[in-house]
Amino acid sequence: MSSVQTSHQAVDVQGLWKIFNEGSNNEVTALSDINLSIKPGEFISLIGPSGCGKSTLLRVIGDLTDATRGEVFIAGETAHIAREKQLYGIAFQQAALFDWRTVRRNVELPLELQGLGKKERRERALELLELVQLSDFAEHRPWELSGGMQQRVAIARSLAVDPPLLLMDEPFGALDEMTRERMQNELLRICQETGKTIIFVTHSIPEAVYLSDRVVVMSPRPGRITHTVPIELGERNEDTRETDTFYAGVTAVREALRGRSTSASPSRIEEF
Amino acid sequence: MSTQTAVQSRRTGRFSGIWPPILIAVLFLAAWQIFVVARDIQPYLLPAPSLIVTNFFTDLSLMWAAAFYTGTTAFLGLVFGTVLGLVMALLASRFIVVNHLVTPLAAGLAAVPIIALTPILNNMFNITSRTPRVLVTMIIVLFPMFVNVTRGLLQVKPVQLELMRSMNAHPRTTLKVLRIPNAIPFFFTGLKVAAPLAVIAALVAEYFGGPQEGLGSRIASAAANTAYGRAWAYVVASIITGLIFYLVVVAVEKWTTPWTGRTQST
Ligand SMILES: Nc1ncnc2c1ncn2[C@@H]1O[C@H](COP(=O)(O)OP(=O)(O)OP(=O)(O)O)[C@@H](O)[C@H]1O
Ligand SMILES: [Mg+2]
Repeated sequence: MSSVQTSHQAVDVQGLWKIFNEGSNNEVTALSDINLSIKPGEFISLIGPSGCGKSTLLRVIGDLTDATRGEVFIAGETAHIAREKQLYGIAFQQAALFDWRTVRRNVELPLELQGLGKKERRERALELLELVQLSDFAEHRPWELSGGMQQRVAIARSLAVDPPLLLMDEPFGALDEMTRERMQNELLRICQETGKTIIFVTHSIPEAVYLSDRVVVMSPRPGRITHTVPIELGERNEDTRETDTFYAGVTAVREALRGRSTSASPSRIEEF
Repeated sequence: MSTQTAVQSRRTGRFSGIWPPILIAVLFLAAWQIFVVARDIQPYLLPAPSLIVTNFFTDLSLMWAAAFYTGTTAFLGLVFGTVLGLVMALLASRFIVVNHLVTPLAAGLAAVPIIALTPILNNMFNITSRTPRVLVTMIIVLFPMFVNVTRGLLQVKPVQLELMRSMNAHPRTTLKVLRIPNAIPFFFTGLKVAAPLAVIAALVAEYFGGPQEGLGSRIASAAANTAYGRAWAYVVASIITGLIFYLVVVAVEKWTTPWTGRTQST
């Protein structure tokens, strides 16, 4: 597996276009000419105003909707094969839990589809629930949980089959600041320990900077990548959010979102 | 959760539950009784509640038998109609072609007047048997079951379908894991409509000859014999039978699907 990962990009998006309702008068160009290569183990954030195509990009990468033009490869496979091989886990913008299942059995779902035994499933699900600090709610129903708790269940579910790639669409949007920071650290820890590649959609600039190796800035109408901001914060710890490099990163991303790049930024910003 | 619902029921307790409808029913019956006695209304126009109640209890054992007979017809029709409705819904949700074929057919069946159908079925099948009545009931039950369950199977949140797709789930797995559980609340909605309808259908089907032991036959013969108090007493028994069918469905729903009627998670 490591040989596959070293010889291929974790994700390779080439000349990708997504046009909804092409040819009709409510045509929307959601993505235009997206090129993005992600190395194995890299943490990428997508940031940009609402409607710029972040969710659509994740859905095309996950082979949940077809590209209009262009190609997507995951670990050298086409997106379609990658989905069949379960090479990624996804946490959607909505938690998308099944009300008729308990929290634990929601987390078990991907394992169930893989045909894993009852006992193993249960153990793994409880392990994951502990990770997102919801052990006490294993036998509750989703509607008994707050929005943020539901979102954490969805994250646990996306981790269930231990996929090499995680697609996360604003997973921490509904969390309070404290839980959010804790989940961010958990996520970074999981990445480091397992070498997962992550594509992470967020509306929070500090979150993007704190988590990422690269922040990809998008702009709408048509949805496209305008800047890529590399972040070099090194090992994250409690003081990281106070460092000058962190603030510089935040400024760089903010400027990029405003549509210009500053020379004051220490980071090298690639413009498109 | 428990504290919240407790607070809620305490707050609404005085104005909800079983007492308000009972109070209204008692007031209504009292007004009815006073009206009939004061104006000296003849029983063939409107019998007094007291007359109906007296008849109800004098005829009680016969009434039991009648309610049991009609209830059995209704139950059989309900079971067969539900099973057929479920099969049609599964096919319709799986194959768009079937959906286009079956939906107008089911709607057509729903539009068939039971009155026109019963004498024909009586001729087609053995009039002395229960069969034509069960068939009529089945046809009446079919439509609400089919429509509701089909909707439940198809009305799945797009994001849940995408989740199944991301896990590379086979359509059969999606049916089992997502569509069918999603359709269960819809199934009960259909059943709550179909169950009392089944009683009405079973009862009306008795007006067109055949065995005379059911509620419908008793109402018809009592009215023909100008025993209006008795006719009304059987109407009351019919209402109770329909209500029992409905309440059983409600109880089964509460017991089997604790997640319905809750705020849906996102
Ligand atoms: N199924 C669809 N049919 C038609 N247009 C769509 C569809 N899905 C998305 N779009 C359009 O594509 C564009 C990008 O949508 P997308 O959901 O990817 O935005 P987003 O960046 O995720 O926004 P947000 O931050 O609000 O989640 C929008 O203009 C949207 O209207
Ligand atoms: Mg989105």
